[in-house]
Amino acid sequence: MFTPLRSGTFMVLPALCFVAMAVTATGRASEGDSLQPIDFATEIRPILSDNCFACHGPDSSKRKAGLRMDERDSALARNEKSGVSAIVPGDTVQSELIVRITTTDSDDLMPPPESGKSLTKEQVALLTRWVEQGAQWDQHWSFKPITRPALPQTVEGDPDGTAANPIDLFVSRKLQTHGSSLNPSPRADRHDLMRRLTFDLTGLPPTLEEVEAFLSDNSPGAYEKVVDRLLRSEHYGEHMARFWLDAVRYGDTHGLHLDNYREIWPYRDWVIDAFNQNLPYDGFITSQLAGDLLPQPTTGQLVATGFNRCHVTTAEGGSIEEEVHVRNVVERVVATGTVFMGLTMDCTRCHDHKFDPLTMEDFYSMFAYFNNIDGNPMDGNIKDHKPVISVPTDYQQSRLSSLDQAIAAAESRLAEPWDRIDGLQTVWENSWKNDDNRLLLSEWYHLGPFADSRENQVRQKHGPEGGSTIDLTASWELEEGRSASWKSRPEWTDGEVHNGLPGDMASNFLYRMITVSNPSSPMPVSLGSDDGVKVYLNGEMILSRDVSRGAAAGQENIELPLKDGVNHLLIKIMNFGGDSGFYFSTAASTQVIPVEIQQLLAVGAGSRSGPDIKTVRDFYRSRIGTDPELVSLRTKLGELREERENVRRSVPTTLVWKERVEPRPAYILRRGEYDQKGREVGRRTPAALPPMKEDFPNDRLGFAMWLTMDEHPLTARVAVNRIWQQFFGTGIVKTSEDFGSQGEPPSHPDLLDWLAADFRDSGWDVKHLVKMIVMSGTYCQSSRVLPRHRQVDPGNRLLARGPRYRLDAEMLRDQALALSGLLVPTVGGPPVKPPQPDGLWFAVGYSGSNTVRFVADKEPGKTHRRSLYTFHKRTSPPPQMSTFDGPSREACVMRRERTNTPMQALLLMNDQQYVETAAGLARLALSGNRGSGESPARWMFRRCFLRDPSAAEMEILLSAYHSQLADFQSDIPAARQLVSVGIFAEADDGPDSPFHSAVLPELAAWTMVANLILNSDEILSKN
Amino acid sequence: MDEAAPSGPDPVHDYFLAQTRRHFFSTTSMGLGLAALSSLVPERRPAAAAEEEIARIASHFAPKAKRAIYLFMAGAPCQMDLFDYKPGMDKYFDQDLPESIRNGQRLTTMTSGQSRFPIAPSKFSFSQHGRNGAWISELLPYHARMVDDIAILRGLHTEAINHDPAITYICTGSQLPGRASLGSWLSYGLGALNSNLPSFVVMTPKWTGRKTAQALYNRLWGSGFLPSRHQGVSLRSSGDPVLFLSNPDGVNAQRRRMMLDHLSRMNQETLQRFGDPETQSRIDQYEMAFRMQSSVPDLTDISREPAHVLDMYGPEATTPGTFAASCLLARRMVERDVRFVQIFHRGWDQHGNIAGDLPNQAHDVDQPSWALIQDLKQRGLLDDTLVIWGGEFGRTIYCQGSLTRENYGRDHHPRCFSIWMAGGGIKPGIIHGATDEFSYNVTEDPVHIHELNATILHCLGIDHRRLSYKFQGLDVRLTGVEEVNPVHQILV
Repeated sequence: MFTPLRSGTFMVLPALCFVAMAVTATGRASEGDSLQPIDFATEIRPILSDNCFACHGPDSSKRKAGLRMDERDSALARNEKSGVSAIVPGDTVQSELIVRITTTDSDDLMPPPESGKSLTKEQVALLTRWVEQGAQWDQHWSFKPITRPALPQTVEGDPDGTAANPIDLFVSRKLQTHGSSLNPSPRADRHDLMRRLTFDLTGLPPTLEEVEAFLSDNSPGAYEKVVDRLLRSEHYGEHMARFWLDAVRYGDTHGLHLDNYREIWPYRDWVIDAFNQNLPYDGFITSQLAGDLLPQPTTGQLVATGFNRCHVTTAEGGSIEEEVHVRNVVERVVATGTVFMGLTMDCTRCHDHKFDPLTMEDFYSMFAYFNNIDGNPMDGNIKDHKPVISVPTDYQQSRLSSLDQAIAAAESRLAEPWDRIDGLQTVWENSWKNDDNRLLLSEWYHLGPFADSRENQVRQKHGPEGGSTIDLTASWELEEGRSASWKSRPEWTDGEVHNGLPGDMASNFLYRMITVSNPSSPMPVSLGSDDGVKVYLNGEMILSRDVSRGAAAGQENIELPLKDGVNHLLIKIMNFGGDSGFYFSTAASTQVIPVEIQQLLAVGAGSRSGPDIKTVRDFYRSRIGTDPELVSLRTKLGELREERENVRRSVPTTLVWKERVEPRPAYILRRGEYDQKGREVGRRTPAALPPMKEDFPNDRLGFAMWLTMDEHPLTARVAVNRIWQQFFGTGIVKTSEDFGSQGEPPSHPDLLDWLAADFRDSGWDVKHLVKMIVMSGTYCQSSRVLPRHRQVDPGNRLLARGPRYRLDAEMLRDQALALSGLLVPTVGGPPVKPPQPDGLWFAVGYSGSNTVRFVADKEPGKTHRRSLYTFHKRTSPPPQMSTFDGPSREACVMRRERTNTPMQALLLMNDQQYVETAAGLARLALSGNRGSGESPARWMFRRCFLRDPSAAEMEILLSAYHSQLADFQSDIPAARQLVSVGIFAEADDGPDSPFHSAVLPELAAWTMVANLILNSDEILSKN
Repeated sequence: MDEAAPSGPDPVHDYFLAQTRRHFFSTTSMGLGLAALSSLVPERRPAAAAEEEIARIASHFAPKAKRAIYLFMAGAPCQMDLFDYKPGMDKYFDQDLPESIRNGQRLTTMTSGQSRFPIAPSKFSFSQHGRNGAWISELLPYHARMVDDIAILRGLHTEAINHDPAITYICTGSQLPGRASLGSWLSYGLGALNSNLPSFVVMTPKWTGRKTAQALYNRLWGSGFLPSRHQGVSLRSSGDPVLFLSNPDGVNAQRRRMMLDHLSRMNQETLQRFGDPETQSRIDQYEMAFRMQSSVPDLTDISREPAHVLDMYGPEATTPGTFAASCLLARRMVERDVRFVQIFHRGWDQHGNIAGDLPNQAHDVDQPSWALIQDLKQRGLLDDTLVIWGGEFGRTIYCQGSLTRENYGRDHHPRCFSIWMAGGGIKPGIIHGATDEFSYNVTEDPVHIHELNATILHCLGIDHRRLSYKFQGLDVRLTGVEEVNPVHQILV
């Protein structure tokens, strides 16, 4: 038995392993060298994982012959039945593993042929040499503690070790020892570097002035000054947040079924702010996972808990609450595993992990931290799916409190004893009682919305339609388990347009009673409706209009043939998209008196109870009295209330976490199914990772503390790798979402560990890490691709050159807006809707969804914001994003693909907003803004490329211009069409404007040149 | 035939297309090398840029089909109401499915809570057709007329029981998102036949059965880990057929061409400066975009289709966005050598109201599917065009929800379902596979969905075991890691 080796092995191995890793990082110049120590973590474990673990791995239910190849003890143990051991260190003849992978007998061969797996000759040789060398074992690399490797001491070409940046030391060592004959590239041209840096730190291009200031600064610290300036820019946080939002799958809709609007953008703004404030990463994690559990949490810390609310949700009819609950919790567990630890936790939902040391029990024990939210798992299709909090701005907060005070003051004045007014009330009451021909209108009652298509709204009956009487206590079942009932709306006064009826494609009903005595003629009424309208009097339809319009007075002038006594007026307002509202007034001057007031008036002042006296008095003072002082007070109160309502309505809410008082039990769910409850499990972190400290609270807060404790092997590695990837396009671990056995091992394991240790030891200082990366010589290299780069390292994993690749979707659009001068750089706020082609939402949306029809914003303050703020409907993401590999935000995405397609070319050439930016750029080039008298071509080139054009490039632009000009001169209408795109449709280009009609062909030709520039490879790429 | 010879509706655009080719001659003479050379080849030859791709594209063996059309019935059609005739079920009406048949199988949560699993016999009548006497439901009268043209497979099976994983599985070979779709594998493995159109086109027509249909997902035609130029391109029925296809107002083809000529020169400068192969690729993509600006409108312009052809597809053939119109466009695409066309027809998820919804669904696809086969046959295209019709799984013989003789619903069923195939490489007029009397378990010639995909690849000349892509350290194949074989019994 070899078991006694175990403890010793574990103690010795970290040191051994480092040696091995360091050698691996040098690559394997001579593959056949049997003296070359083999690195278990990066060379052997991946082979075992891929070929053996499925049957001889962590998953106990699938394990064959009781053998585990993921644990040394098991692999070395003697099988009781056969008497052989899979591995006998140093002895390939006795090692059954080697026998079985080299046999020619297909019955004995491993992996079995029917598995579809087979080992290559090289793999067999590697395994054999590994056993020969003693079968050194080790944990999977990413589960080992993070220790800070020693820095390589000297670097070729830098014998004095003056290359201070540790990144360069590690990268150079790998290049030297790789045997690929690649050398580091020279430093990039300074303007290329400035553009690369500014894009990488802010997501925006630098201005020409910024580049020129840098070029003329010859001090040794010039570059660092720029780095520090950019790290202070508020656009830094926007850019960093954008990657995080992919990881946490932030979206502005629920994502499933109706896919209605969800209000959680304050979380997005919190992320931006956290990066700008350089919130340490451990605090960043803790606020998001457990901000609510912190002592006296700030609003920001509560907003941050939206992290666990970003997942897709549903309210689909027929869904089972428990099932949706489980799905939501699973989403949180999987996201937490992926985003913070690079673990594919989802694999352990239904069975023990096949490749990594994670069990179902681990999964459901982690589940137990995230299953205790105080809210319905179904989202109710509403934007503020509880728990939520209001997040007023400072201004909103102070305005609300001063409005509250002013309203309280006015209300108390209105309720005070006021003899003069009471006298007027008595006069009014008497005159009302003695009026035999009075016309009484009740207040309005409202019912709805009844969502339906336009056709059905017009053709079919809904709710109370068709009945001869109205039952104000009735209610109607709507879709998704909601119901509708009548609500009194006394604030809907006659003679005004009332917008804000609910629903998008929906009908609403209005109802009131009209009481008359012996009417002599029909009552004339003026009606308005948004959109269509039907009017029923006493159950008879007297008007039906199928139109699309906004509500206004006098759209329908009808006469109501009232009968003696009580009449029932029912109005159906049919809306076909967008806002809905109505207008109503009677030609006769009438007083609207609610039914219960009428009853009290009939009783007579003397016989009323105390509360009734107050009711009638309040009614008189707030509705009827015409005394000028009273009216003025009333008007003021109305205005104050309206303003308060408006401010309240504008206060955003955001989805947060709130813990239930009673913890919910958690169970192992067999096959991951919500109704297959197995054993109950408590809260526990995965067993293969270091345990939580005793004094941590065993809740989400403790979980967050566990993630960020020094001993945690994954959190820091995953974080630095993801941030590294933002700058180089590929992580040190290419599979930034999977640090498990099936993920790709790191290209520079020692560099990754050094950075992770340094990040942790710096107090999780993100800006420190970012600065170290961009200050490195590795980052600053020229990105020129030489033929030998292409041959040896097309993917640039050895980092012998700088990063060069297409900009991300958001950067492309933001750049075009910035270069055209159209960008509105406001930070934060509700999502915005720049234009997109018609019909994209409608093609996938359900008719009852409030995001079924896309309506673009109009104001440049919204349409020209950074792409980070574009409304993200998850079942139909904006094509400007998805065409350029922007994810749908339905699932966590830790890295985007980067593609190059004709669809992208079509979008960049033809999308309205990109054409608009070309027109904007052309206008800038022609207007006085450019000063200095340089030609528009040269000015435009320098503004965009941030360098002087070569003679050839100038020739291309001028040739492009002249050919376009000649063409537009013979087609002025086309020129006008082209330059009138977007906001320029309304540009006021009078005879004094630099863009009067005589220069239309020039402007159009320059617009095409700008379109060319904005489509050129150098502009579309980080160089 | 006139309509078979593509000619752009915009002569100016055509003129500049010709210039494009001249433009390439001139840049090539300046030393652009092989990459640009390959763009010179006339249409109907591989236009792929990279050398290694040209090498890979060599088929593994002589293909029977050069292109394929997949009529995908998303939501899963009821096999026992359409192709898998089970007359014995009448006597079991409202009796519970024997436990020996269900055999402990897991059920979806939609019926797992049911206390009973009462059998719902098909309410539709069947009759025999074709030389093989295949039983076809009254819902598919046009299919009945083409039994001799197609091979009916009744023994398909899968493991997934819900739509998202199941449709992802059959379309990409894995239940989890992230893999390459069938069409993108074909594009990757075989390259393009036409350099003016995408090699993989997807359409998502309207449907008239169940109103709230399962959603579709971009990943069903995505390229996963393969380069994204292999992903399916959506052809839309309103607005620009392909997003952002049209030039902006005021820009005609000539102005666009002039802009592109200069853009290409500008990008040559960049190529010199950075030496990045991606720059060359970008130049190619812009030229492809320009070609699409004339080839796509030409493709979707059906005004010169003769009346007898339109009649064959039925009255909806001229209504954009219908299944019939999509089938007609599919024929126009294979005629132009688009490698793979996939039509996703939704609404087949008949959990209830089969009496109301299933006839509508069947009506949507019956005549157009027949017309497509006839049209291809008449043009001689069926010989080298493979056509596949089918969904992601089958449905249960037992009823979901309330059961009457006249109306019932069916839950998802992974253990058997029916599809048909026709054209290049497929034996016509055969029936392959059989199920038990409950249409519950396959009793004869089971075909796993991996085997279906292996068969499709085989017809197109690809050994599915050899078409692989290194992804995260694994050699990933469309057909998974287990050993599977094409269904040789149905191959010519």
